[in-house]
Amino acid sequence: MTTTSSDRSAQLAEAGLDAQNRTALGRAFGSGNIGYAEEGSDGKMTATVRIPEDALCWDPGTLILPHGGDFELTLINDDKNTHCAVLPNNGDPKFIWLVNHAKGTADLNLDGPGTYYFASTTGNDEGRGLTGAIIVSGEVPDEAKLDRPPQPRP
Amino acid sequence: MTDYVDAGQAIPYQQLSAVKGSAPATGAVDYDRILDARSEPQNWLTYYGTYDGQRYSELDQFTKENVKRLSPAWVFQSGAVGMQSGASTYSNEASPIVVEGVMYVSGPDGKCWALDAKTGAELWRYKHASPYDVSLCCGNVNRGVAVGHGKVYMATLNAHVIALDATTGEKVWDVTAGDVRAGESRTVAPLLVKDMVIVGSSGGEFGTRGCLDAFDVETGERRWRRYMIPKPGEPGSETWPDDGEAWQRGGGNCWVTPTYDPELGLLYQGTGNPAPDIDGGVRPGANLYSDSVVAVDVDSGEIRWHYQFTPHDLWDYDSTMENLLFEAPDGRKLLAHADKNGYFFVLDRTDGELVRVFPFVDRITWGEITAEGKVTPKVYPDEEGVPVHFWPGPAGGKEWTHMSYSRQTGLIYVPVQEVGATATRRRREFKESIPYWGAGVAVDLEDFYGYVAAIDPVSGEEKWRWRNEYPMCASTLATAGGLVFQGTPTGEFVALDADTGEKLWEFQCGSGHHSSPSTYSVDGRQYVAVPTGWGGWVEGFLPGLLGAAAGDALFVFALPEN
Repeated sequence: MTTTSSDRSAQLAEAGLDAQNRTALGRAFGSGNIGYAEEGSDGKMTATVRIPEDALCWDPGTLILPHGGDFELTLINDDKNTHCAVLPNNGDPKFIWLVNHAKGTADLNLDGPGTYYFASTTGNDEGRGLTGAIIVSGEVPDEAKLDRPPQPRP
Repeated sequence: MTDYVDAGQAIPYQQLSAVKGSAPATGAVDYDRILDARSEPQNWLTYYGTYDGQRYSELDQFTKENVKRLSPAWVFQSGAVGMQSGASTYSNEASPIVVEGVMYVSGPDGKCWALDAKTGAELWRYKHASPYDVSLCCGNVNRGVAVGHGKVYMATLNAHVIALDATTGEKVWDVTAGDVRAGESRTVAPLLVKDMVIVGSSGGEFGTRGCLDAFDVETGERRWRRYMIPKPGEPGSETWPDDGEAWQRGGGNCWVTPTYDPELGLLYQGTGNPAPDIDGGVRPGANLYSDSVVAVDVDSGEIRWHYQFTPHDLWDYDSTMENLLFEAPDGRKLLAHADKNGYFFVLDRTDGELVRVFPFVDRITWGEITAEGKVTPKVYPDEEGVPVHFWPGPAGGKEWTHMSYSRQTGLIYVPVQEVGATATRRRREFKESIPYWGAGVAVDLEDFYGYVAAIDPVSGEEKWRWRNEYPMCASTLATAGGLVFQGTPTGEFVALDADTGEKLWEFQCGSGHHSSPSTYSVDGRQYVAVPTGWGGWVEGFLPGLLGAAAGDALFVFALPEN
């Protein structure tokens, strides 16, 4: 059997892995949508993630930032159950409680580049699929790079 | 639908804990005080206790007679939330620093704490948000912090170096020291010298170019960088191919804290394996300054001398582990180094002259080093696809975990690993951030053991050994009470008689040891602290215990107060 990345969504739906309690008990890990943070003229980044009703996933589940730094994340719980979020942040993770139909914000600071985990940690929300990734793209500053010619990458 | 309930602003997670948020201000810790650290044994001021790397304490409240009464004074546990780097490999590898009753200690995944050294109460915590997809060869680990100038200095898995306010844990400065896209990371405990914080690189399995950095303690500005792989035209470049790219990915990382001689102004930095680890065919030559001790001028970063323990390494025999400084009976300034390759070296630390070399493990098949220091490789994987077995394995006869030197007995206590491995050369292209071993390596799952060896560095004689069913994968600690402390992979923390090796006491900590215990006193009561938690590069040093219980507890022991 061969697969391609372009038909991933269709494959998840066909396999019953794109929702709760179909083929699996929860939702396939890392199967949510991809979204991008916006960057204002002042350089501050903003983004919104929400929890759709009965989906037990973040939408988007993967959030891409153009670079490291400060950004404001808005979190919306459209579900009819209570969740929370533990969010990556330099100094200490941030925590917010999200009762049914709630909306809040988080001021976060991340280095870059790399992938950071966030999740609702109540009950078994993590196991059921309510996990996400914040991906900081870009490069480290030039002064942090090794003194050598450019090297091949995968 | 009604309006959304206002969930407000997310709050720091530690607000939902009993963390106090601040630590008492201590007396100023600066260079002069660390120079004289031996005079205040109530504190453990720097990574090795003292700049010479002896890991010896003058505290003598624990004795051969009373040590059997040692019992836990307190335990600190940290736990984890969610996905983290090397989620199944976390390990406590630090050596706790103690200043006037405040303990500063790091853990996996960018965590750092200030604890009440008497009670274990959590005074403040800092968690660096480290990406979980950084390239790590050897687990989610950090070997400790440096404390001074009112700050706590720590390196992070995503190759940052940060300074925290010692009383609040708030970040003071943060520099990006390395390139995570190139496979770099930082795991080392920083070393404070003068007004600089010294931090070496990690990433030897990813074809980086190893380096040692000095940063300004107040601002984080980089003062100097010393690459351990020379560019074409630089001294040592003649040991790399003239027309190749090998030097650009040559390894030689500095992932263990150097020792330091203040009279000579020299840092003694051990360097890691050349890259690729096993496939030497792409890097003909001795490959300086990999697998060496490099004497670095602390003010300029210039190399004054070097001694290479394994030229043209084909077995992953890093020499990053400590270079312990001591004086011969005639006052000669010496340096002792127990290498991964199974040989124990004594050098004159003023110029790198070899004084003595002898094996300290039972089984060495990779090659031979004569008493004059001549190296002859014998067994190595030089044919594509052909498995070759050798001793010691790639974790070495002694890994990074440290030996100690008793100023009472004159003996050095070496944690020894007797584990072999089979490597099969598999050449591969270099690509940034992808492991660059050039071989498949399988470390033996049986026929292993370990011991603590008490070695007289002047004569080369092994005075005693305390044998264990499993290899020794944690640092020893020697104290003036005539004791040597050692943690085992199966969780026991043991106290040995420094003169005879007799086991006098043990306590089962519930998870294996891969850290460096330290000792201190508060209000006249002596404590010994040992971070526990089996993890890190277990598949490299003891895969026979890959299934052992993990953990993340810091145990602190003392004698009963009555």
